[in-house]
Parts: sequence; structure tokens; C-alpha cells
Amino acid sequence: MSILSKLKETLVCLKAGRVTLPYPAQPRPVPPKFRGRPIFDEARCIGCAGCANNCPAREILVFDVCQELRILKYLGSRCTYCGRCADVCPEKAITMSHEFENATNSKGDIGQRLELFMSTCQRCGRCFKETSPLDMLKLKGYRFDDLQNERWIFHSQAYLESEPLVDDIKIELEG
Amino acid sequence: MDHNISWIILGGLANIALVLLVAPFYQGILRKVTARIQSRQGPPLRQPYFDLLKLLGKEDLESGETPLMQRFACYLSLATVLTVASLVPMGFPSPINGAGDVILLIYLLTLSGICTLLAGLAAGSTFSLVGINREMMTMIALEPLFAITIVIGAIHTKSFRIDTVLNGSVYAAGFPLSGIIMLVVMLLSFQAFVQRVPFDISEAETEIMEGPLMEYSGPKLAIFKYSQMAKLVLFSSLFVALFVPWGTGLVFPLGWLLFWAKVMVLVLLVTLVAATHARYRIDQAIRYFAVLLFIALVALILASYGF
Amino acid sequence: MNSSLKLNQLKEKFGSAILRADLPNDNCLFVFVEPSVVKDICRYIFRDLDARYIISIGADDRPFSGRFLVAHDFAFDRDQLLCSILTHLPADNPKVDSISGEIPAANWAEREISDMVGIETVGHPYPKRLVLPDGWPDGVHPLRKDVPWNHVPEGFDEERAYKFDDPPAGCTVVPIGPFHPTLDEPAHFRLYVEGEMVRGCEYRGFMVHRGIEKLAESVLTYNDITMMAERICGICGCVHSVAYAQAVESAVAIKPPPRAEYMRTVMLEIERLHSHLLWVGLACHIVGFDTLFMQSWRIREPIMWIAEKITGNRKTYALCLIGGVRWDITPEVKTELRLVLYKLETEWHEVVAAVGKDKNIQKRTRGVGIADKNLVKNLGLVGPVARSAGVDLDCRRDHPYAAYRHVDFAVITEDGCDVWSRLMVRAKEVFESIRIIRQCLDKIEEGPLQSEIRDELPVGRLGLSSVEAPRGESHHFVITGENNRPRRWRVRAPTYQNLQAVPAMIKDQQLADMTISLGSIDPCFSCTDRLETIDMESGLTKVWTQDELFRLVRDRKG
Repeated sequence: MSILSKLKETLVCLKAGRVTLPYPAQPRPVPPKFRGRPIFDEARCIGCAGCANNCPAREILVFDVCQELRILKYLGSRCTYCGRCADVCPEKAITMSHEFENATNSKGDIGQRLELFMSTCQRCGRCFKETSPLDMLKLKGYRFDDLQNERWIFHSQAYLESEPLVDDIKIELEG
Repeated sequence: MDHNISWIILGGLANIALVLLVAPFYQGILRKVTARIQSRQGPPLRQPYFDLLKLLGKEDLESGETPLMQRFACYLSLATVLTVASLVPMGFPSPINGAGDVILLIYLLTLSGICTLLAGLAAGSTFSLVGINREMMTMIALEPLFAITIVIGAIHTKSFRIDTVLNGSVYAAGFPLSGIIMLVVMLLSFQAFVQRVPFDISEAETEIMEGPLMEYSGPKLAIFKYSQMAKLVLFSSLFVALFVPWGTGLVFPLGWLLFWAKVMVLVLLVTLVAATHARYRIDQAIRYFAVLLFIALVALILASYGF
Repeated sequence: MNSSLKLNQLKEKFGSAILRADLPNDNCLFVFVEPSVVKDICRYIFRDLDARYIISIGADDRPFSGRFLVAHDFAFDRDQLLCSILTHLPADNPKVDSISGEIPAANWAEREISDMVGIETVGHPYPKRLVLPDGWPDGVHPLRKDVPWNHVPEGFDEERAYKFDDPPAGCTVVPIGPFHPTLDEPAHFRLYVEGEMVRGCEYRGFMVHRGIEKLAESVLTYNDITMMAERICGICGCVHSVAYAQAVESAVAIKPPPRAEYMRTVMLEIERLHSHLLWVGLACHIVGFDTLFMQSWRIREPIMWIAEKITGNRKTYALCLIGGVRWDITPEVKTELRLVLYKLETEWHEVVAAVGKDKNIQKRTRGVGIADKNLVKNLGLVGPVARSAGVDLDCRRDHPYAAYRHVDFAVITEDGCDVWSRLMVRAKEVFESIRIIRQCLDKIEEGPLQSEIRDELPVGRLGLSSVEAPRGESHHFVITGENNRPRRWRVRAPTYQNLQAVPAMIKDQQLADMTISLGSIDPCFSCTDRLETIDMESGLTKVWTQDELFRLVRDRKG
């Protein structure tokens, strides 16, 4: 009988009561494993570019100013919060924070830019320890992603450009 | 004579103002109760007022095949509804009693239905034409039900005056059978009059993109929405006046408040049915109305024989 | 020895036309044949051996073998075998006989092959453009290896319109889409309507085409593609990510550890729960019953929370890597999951008991959107659409993957062939999913989450994988390649086949039933249109002004 089933359905509804949460009037905590905005720790980063290599959205740009200076830029606009960068980082310099309220009308707010002083490994020059051949760095050497237009350049070079690309950075070398 | 006319005019305006003020409130109750049934918080009771204000503040866009008809249809719909408002007794005898009889009432209600048809024609797009097609079929089956109720009332009281017919006339001479039958028929078809699920077929959002009202936006949409809200109140008032008239004799303001309480009960009933049903298809709805129409005709015949 | 038995059967009939066969394991068979016998062998497999058609794939193999490749995938469900018939075509004039005449299910797949790879399918009954946009210049085929992934073709003709078929006499055209409140994604159903009855339909879709397959071949790497595959669909993303990972694992013989397989199973079933509950709500919303929509989504919410606890996100689980999974399940989360399942089961029992007897909903859904056994066979329909017609079809049992070999569950079928049967199938499958998750939680073994991959993956290997998504079978085909990425990746989402049945389902039904019939296949247009986004830079995107949009709506009305 249709009326009976309607009554049963209404009973289901009434038993549940009101389930609307008071967010955003009250904050809503997230579980510990939640993958929010990645935070890059400049102190721990060794500039290996493993995160850039393994970001599916190609949102982390790498630019070598000179042998000693590498710029790592996290754009964040197309970041999918997958957490691969945090997974592969050998120094655990990236944490997936709990921030999910990332809406802003200025794109630069989400981006993070790291300027890293690269000390030279005596043997190979740069170091990244991959967990499997699938995570291996393919673009080894010097990187020149397009920071202006925020785009990846899919080539790397064995040596630096002959002219310095940024001329207002002066690095004091000892000795 | 002048004194009388000014009272009549003031009374009519008072009725209209009352309906305009109160209609969004009942709509708000409807939305809130629906939300609570759906386990949601729901909008505040004042929300329909805000919605109307917001729509009135938007850009007045004219689109569709004939913008002139578009304007005409929306103004006409509110005008007819408000005219009916001044005719219907709302806890006290209607002020323009002498000016019109029940036939006028039936015609005005049909006219307000025709406004939707005009709106759909003005839009001229495929979906709105499908919508008014459905609306036409629904109207053909529905308007007679209401007309038959009124006529039965007229038969029993032997008059066409609004105040006599609407004051529980269906029950004149002590609960005739035709009155009871019409009570049941009107209850069963009430959802269609106020255009709610399961019979809001002509404006099925998910199927035909809102049908006749497709091209309306901004202030014109506000007027249409207002007239729909007012129709809910008006039909409930008519129903209460016809079938549940007891207590109108009480001294003002008790009788008046009792009237509005009865309207509230009816609105809650509408909400409950709307929240627990799925929408019917047009052919299923027409079959349903056809059965009700047949029963109503039987009741009419009984009434003419005095039952 | 299923695969070799089948091979012997084929060899008996076709003998010398079979050039080569690969049998990587018992459940997978690749047969390379001459182009001339492709049609006959496919007809034999489809009609005489009663296989199920899955998909046809075109690939540009010129840099490696100097030729084009066409593959037709079939499934022998009773024998637990996935079979692929492959053929190589000459590079200068790639032509192959169309099989759509014999197998109507291949209609779209072959049109896609000719659009994207430029292989001509001779004898196709309806050779119209399917995937590429209207203004796309002829002769530029995006999936060819000489077309770069970010290529902007010259000669894009903005004024060129799609040539729709003429409506039959006496019918008006009612356009459902591309913008319509029912559809979450754009799709264009051009209905031919007589009064309130639908007499026919033409579909134009692929508006959300994103170029995933081309990106996978050119830019992404193996482990990136699992993240990308998840974004093929917002509801069944995990399915695609698991199916892709399994296809690659099957191609290069990597076996994920048992714990990873159980984790994949648990997350797949959690996804099925959320998807079915979402769909029941959506179907009720389409017929105007908003209360049940709200209630079933309320009941679904704890599943999203528990998924967030396990994986870090409500829906995009980012679960799979080649050879394993990324997330683990702790004992506390296990207990919580059991509680969630218990609560879900009790509440859903109440809802199903109430809805089962509800005449009001049944009036709108019984006898609507009929897809009978014949249609299921001819168009290769899958999932609840097939099961509601009484066809006993489920990849979890027929082609077991992940941990499904170790768990017990029933395959729900109904006989009504209509929307109501599909609703009942999905509602009851919820209980089976709960049963599977409980068994997995009991049986899950300790161990690593990722198997060790010591060497780079070998090149040129073929892999197939079929996974039961909530909507049906999702099938992935992979050819491994150099530079840490595949050479070709083809995704066949279940909606790809089910959508082809919609014109038949809505014929001679009322207009009002069209949306619920479409909704009953649970369409996921994002899954269906998953190919290339050629980088549409300036000049190629048209910015519609308000006036133009209004004119567009009005001009298309009749």
C-alpha cells in the first residue's frame, strides 16, 4: 500500500533529525591524513627536484640561476593535492597541511618560491634517491622552466647558459 | 453612499495588502517544513521576502518571441490574483461582496491560469511550448472541479452571491452527500491547484527546464513568483471558506485568527504531501483528474436532486 | 588453460590467417591476424563463440613497427578470458574492414578510431565525426605520433556546423542539452518528438574531451598516469586508476603484494557504495522526489568521511601506484569502518523496504527505458543496465582481479529491463558491497604495500584489464613504452557503451521519461569523453557574448 510506504519513508526522515552542520560559522576539523595544501620547508629542501619530477600536474618549476643557486617554484593553481611530492621527497621537506580553505582572488597567494643554495656533490653534482625506476629523474642537469609564463620546459642542459639570466643576484664566494 | 464606497475600496485594499504581506510568509513555512522533513536546516522563514527583493533588484531583461506579451502576461497574473484576493473572505466578509458573483470568481481563477499559457507563448521556445501544452491539459481537467464545487454551493443556497456561497454553502441544509463528495475530491486535487508535487508537471524543472517560465528573470520573475505564492494562500482561503467555515461567527480578532490558523493547517498538509511524493507524468495525472471529474459530475447531479 | 583452448578453437577455423599469438597468462589472449580476416574472425567470436564485445582500439605504431595497429577486444565471461584481436595496417593507406555492420556495439569505437588515428573503417554504416569538434580541420588526427600533444592546428573553422540528420516527418526537434538541469555535464540529445512521444534521437557529445590518452603518451609517466586516471571521472575515479595500474602490471608481470590487493578491493567497494547511493538520490530527484534524494545523500555522507580518514580526501583517493597502493588502514580505522557499515546497512534496509512498496515511484519507473537481452548483446551493454535485463554479468566474478578471488558475493540480477529494475539492482548491490568490505577487513593480510620494482619496465608489452565500476565494466588497454610512459593507453568507460543504447531506450516513450531513462544508465559523460585537450590557446576559444547565446538558444528551438 502506497500510503504505508510513504509513512515509512517519512519515519526514516524524521528519525534522522536535522543534520546540517554549522560550517562555516564553526570550523570543521579534518582527519589527520587529510591532504591539504603542501607546505615546502626551505630549510630542509636540498633542491633535488624529485618533487618537480613526480608532480602529475607539472606544477613545480625548477630554474637554475647558476651552479650554486636553484629556484624552486610551486605554483599551486593546478595542484591536485595528490601528495606525490611529499611521498618522494627524500628529506621530508614537504608536508600536506590541513588547509583546504584556499580560495583567493590573487593567484600569487598560493604559490611558494624557494631559493636554494646548492652545494656541489663531489661526485655527481646533484642527488635524488628514487624508490623505484618509475620515479627516476629524467631531466637531469640544469633546468630552465619558464617562471614568467609559469610553464614547464621539457629539456634540461648539461651546462649553464653562457650569460647570466638574472643579473641582480650577486653571490659572495669565499676565497 | 460615498461612505460605503470608500469603505468598500479600503476593505478591498486591506484584503490585497494582507495577501501580499502574508503570502511569502506561508511560502517560507512551506520551505522550512519541507527542509526539516528532508533533515536539512532550511532557509529562514523570511527568505521568500528576501528572494522577491533580490529579484526585483535585478536587470529587467526582455527576451523571447514577443516581449510585449511577456510583460502583459506577468502583470496580468498578479492583477488577477489580487482581484480574487479582494473578493475572497478572509476571516471577515469580503468587502466587494455586491460587486461580483461567484461566476466572476471562477472566471478570474481561470484567467490566472491562462496567464501561464501566455507566458509560455511569449517565450516561444520548444520547452516552454511543451510546458504550456501540459498546463493546458491540466487546466482543462482541473478548472471544472472548482467550478462544480461553487455551483453545488450555489444550488444549495439558491444564490450566486459570493458571501452566501462561500460561507460553507456546500454544507447548507446539514451535510449533504454532494458536499462530502466534493470535500474529498477537492482534497485529492488540491496539490494541482497550488502547483506542487506530485502535480507540478507544467513546471517540472528537471524535465523541461521550468517550462513556461523559462524566459523570465529579474522583476518579472518576482511578479510571477509572487502570484504563485498568493495563489497558495488564496486557494487555501477558498477551501477553508467553502468546506471549513465554522468559527467565522466569532468576534474579531478571534474569528480572523482562527481563519488563518486553518489556512496554516492546509499549507502544512500541502507541504507534507509535496515532500513525500514523486512527480507524475502528464498522462497519469490526466487520468487521475478524469476520474475525479467524473465523481464531481455525479456529485453535481446529486446536488441538483437535493442530496 | 582457457587462453590456449580458445586459441586452438580459433586456429582450427582460421589457420594460416593467424600470424602470432601471445598468451601472457591463463586469462589473457592476444591474437595477431591478417587485416583481411578481421571482420570474419570478429563475427565468428561474437556470434558463434558468443563473446561479449568490449572495445576497438586504434594506435599509431609507425615509430616502432612502421605500421598502424587496430585491436578489437572481446570478453569470454564464462571462461574468464579477455581476448584481443590485433592487426597491423600499412602506414601509407591504413584501411580496415568495419565490424560495426555485424557488431552494432562497435559503432562509436570505430568512429573514434577514424577521427583520432585516421584509420579508415571501410563499410561503417554511420561514418560521421564523433569526437573531434565541428571546426577541426580534416586530416589532422590527434593520436598520431607526428602530432605533438600541444599542437594547435591551423585551419580551425569556427563557422563550420555539425550536420545533424533530418528529423522524420511530422516530428519536432526538442534539444536536451548541451545545457540542461538534469545533466551534470554537457551532452546534446536531439530528440525527434511527436506530441509527447519520442520517435528518435541523435546524440552529439564529447564536449568535455580532455585529451587524457594523448597526455599519457607524451607528457606523463607511469606513476603520474594513475593520478590522472583518477580524474577521468568524479564518481568512479578509483576504478580507472586501479584498472590502469592493473593493465600495466599485467603487461609487465608485476604482482602487487596481497595487502595492496585487499586495500584496492576495499576502496573500490567503498566507491561503489558512494556511487550507488548517489545515483539512487539522483534518480529520485529526476522524478521530482527530493526528499528521498536528500535522505540517500545523508546516508551516504559517512562513507565520504571514512574515505577521507583512510586516504586523505573524500573522493580523489590518489590510491594506486604501479605495483601497489599508497595508503594503509590502521586497526582504529578498521573499527570505525565497521561501525559506519553497520549504520549504513540498517538505514539502507529501512529505505529499501519503504521504497520497494512505493507505488508512486514505481509508476514513474516501471516500463520506462526498456533495454532487453537482445539490445544488451548487440550493443555490449554492461553493468546494472545489463543485469537489470537478466544478463548475469559482473567482472568481479567473471574476470577476478585484486582480492575478489578471496571473497564471496552474489551478483544481483532482475528481469524487468526497465528503470525500476536498475534501481533495485543498485539498491541491493549496496548490501553485497558491504558484505565484501567486511570479508576483506577480516581477511586482510599484513605485509608491504608496494612491490619492489628493480628494473625499468620492458617496452612494447600489451596489457588488458577489466574492472567492475559502479556503472559497469571499465576496460583499459596499455602498450608499454620508452621514457617511463606507455605508448598507447585506451580507456573504455562503461558509459561509452551504455550511452549508445539510449536512443533505443527512449524510442516510442514519452518525453517526460527521457531524462529518467538517461539517468538510469548512470551516465558519466566525463568518463566517456576522456580524450585529448589540444591546447586551445587564443583564437580558437570562442567567447560567446550574451546576445549570441540568446540567439543560439532561440534559433535552435525548432
